[in-house]
Amino acid sequence: MATPLTVPLPQLQRDTRGRERRARLVPLALLGPAIAVTLLFLYYPLVFIVRMSFTLADTFLRPTGAVTTISNYVAMADRYLPNLLVTLQLASLATIVDLVFGVPFAYVLVRKVRYRNLVRAFMVFPMFGALYIAFGMRFILLPGGPATPLFEALGIPNTSVLYSLPSVVFAMSIFTFPFMVMNVGTALSNVDPTLEEAAACLGARPLQTFRRVLLPLTRAGIVAGALMVFGWSLGTFAEPLLLGSVNEQKTLAWTLYLKGVIQLDYGLSTAMGVVLLILAFGVTYFSLRYSRGALVE
Amino acid sequence: MTASTASSDTSAVRAPGPRSIVGRRRLTSRRMVDVVSHGYIWLCLFVFVTPFLALLAYSFTGPGGTYAIENFQYVLGSFGENLWWSLRISGLSIAIDLAIALPAAYAIVRYPVPGKRLIFSVLSLPLYVPGAVIGLSLVITYNFTYHLTTSMWGLVFGMVVGTFPLMLTPIIVALKDLPIAFEEAAECLGASRWTTFWRIVFPLIGPGVSAGLMLAFIIVFNEYLVTLFVHPSEITTAPLRIFNLVRTAGLLPTTAALAVTMQLISFASVLLFFRVFGTRYFKGTYLI
Repeated sequence: MATPLTVPLPQLQRDTRGRERRARLVPLALLGPAIAVTLLFLYYPLVFIVRMSFTLADTFLRPTGAVTTISNYVAMADRYLPNLLVTLQLASLATIVDLVFGVPFAYVLVRKVRYRNLVRAFMVFPMFGALYIAFGMRFILLPGGPATPLFEALGIPNTSVLYSLPSVVFAMSIFTFPFMVMNVGTALSNVDPTLEEAAACLGARPLQTFRRVLLPLTRAGIVAGALMVFGWSLGTFAEPLLLGSVNEQKTLAWTLYLKGVIQLDYGLSTAMGVVLLILAFGVTYFSLRYSRGALVE
Repeated sequence: MTASTASSDTSAVRAPGPRSIVGRRRLTSRRMVDVVSHGYIWLCLFVFVTPFLALLAYSFTGPGGTYAIENFQYVLGSFGENLWWSLRISGLSIAIDLAIALPAAYAIVRYPVPGKRLIFSVLSLPLYVPGAVIGLSLVITYNFTYHLTTSMWGLVFGMVVGTFPLMLTPIIVALKDLPIAFEEAAECLGASRWTTFWRIVFPLIGPGVSAGLMLAFIIVFNEYLVTLFVHPSEITTAPLRIFNLVRTAGLLPTTAALAVTMQLISFASVLLFFRVFGTRYFKGTYLI
């Protein structure tokens, strides 16, 4: 015969109490490694560079103690304001290009396209990295390269294309395009297509339907996408370096690499890093507030 | 009803010509919109792959415009070491990613943890920190506190922190899709928590786990920015080699061949994943 139920009552009670305590500890233990790695290799280093950006150039390791100063930020505002402005300019231009081309793309993709897996397969190419995009574009735009006949036909002097602002912005917007499409597409697929049909039946022209029906319903997704693209574009590195002129190469990410790793001016470099970080975090905060953050709940 | 049929009848009788023209024109204008919109999609897709196609074409050029397969032999020869480093770093990073993401996702979905949203935000924030800032902060901390500048593990953990949220999200999505009834049934039948997880839950969330593995692999395998900051001097991964060569040596067909090889390996892993699991496990990540 099978063993009968022989569990005495008191033991059962003790068991459940222990179980409860364990049930509270288990999730902490499970989350532990993830939180530890994130704290050790992301949050601690970030706090470290914030502290470092407020110390005078080489007093950080002095036994007498570090000298607290805001001179790094003053120097940044003094001499490196153009770098910040170029970074913001490139990111905004890339965001605008992505908005103009990404919203129609997302609309067609969600409403009309049945071969969506194919589109997804193509859309992973930008994801492999801005480096390959910039490298490929550099070859394409080279005077005498594959795009030369096109520029000749358009009447643009061929030598002015590579190392210019538009080519940097173009490469940046290719890299971030899928982010925009992802956000806008998610918002659009939550809108019932019958609403558009109703608007059309009531006599609205396509543009009116877009402005009065679609735009209000997808505004959150569009804003979230634009902010996300902007935040990602702030850290642009390879595109200005490989495709831009001296002016575009002043972007903060590249300047902080030069200052921090090559010239070892840690104070100034970390100040730039902190500015970049604050900008990216602010933008991301609003982006996530606008997008559907309902993954966890 | 009768009125409308009557009116359409009369119009058909009275003016068959104009009506058919109107019908055809409407049809063609709709078809025009279709052609334009699908053409637009294809144009955008073409722009996406243009840099790759250009590099592919360029990688086959040799001295004097000849057709050179030697460039790819060069990839395995001279760049072989860089490729090998890339593969090793990627393998280690995604293994660590998985080891820490799996329990974290399970705790977030299956346990009543207080402050769940906050924890998830804290864990997924690395995605939004610019790579240059991660690189700078890591290289400075490695210098002053951790003393990891000459070790491979500094690089690996830099990669882990950057890609770990990409692994976490698909696993969370897969776990949320999985009804808890399976686990309850297993437990009722006497399986321990551990057995339940490895025999029931893990196989069922397999696609989500693979999606995370694939995303993390692609990102780590092609990462050059954080690597540029924190790489020990004797380790040069393939993307970093490409970056250095493009910056210092200008355009070379051999560099293009290496870039093409990297993208082909990444693309092959994406295609393999799509064939086996489909695309729905990318919800909430990079691909809609």
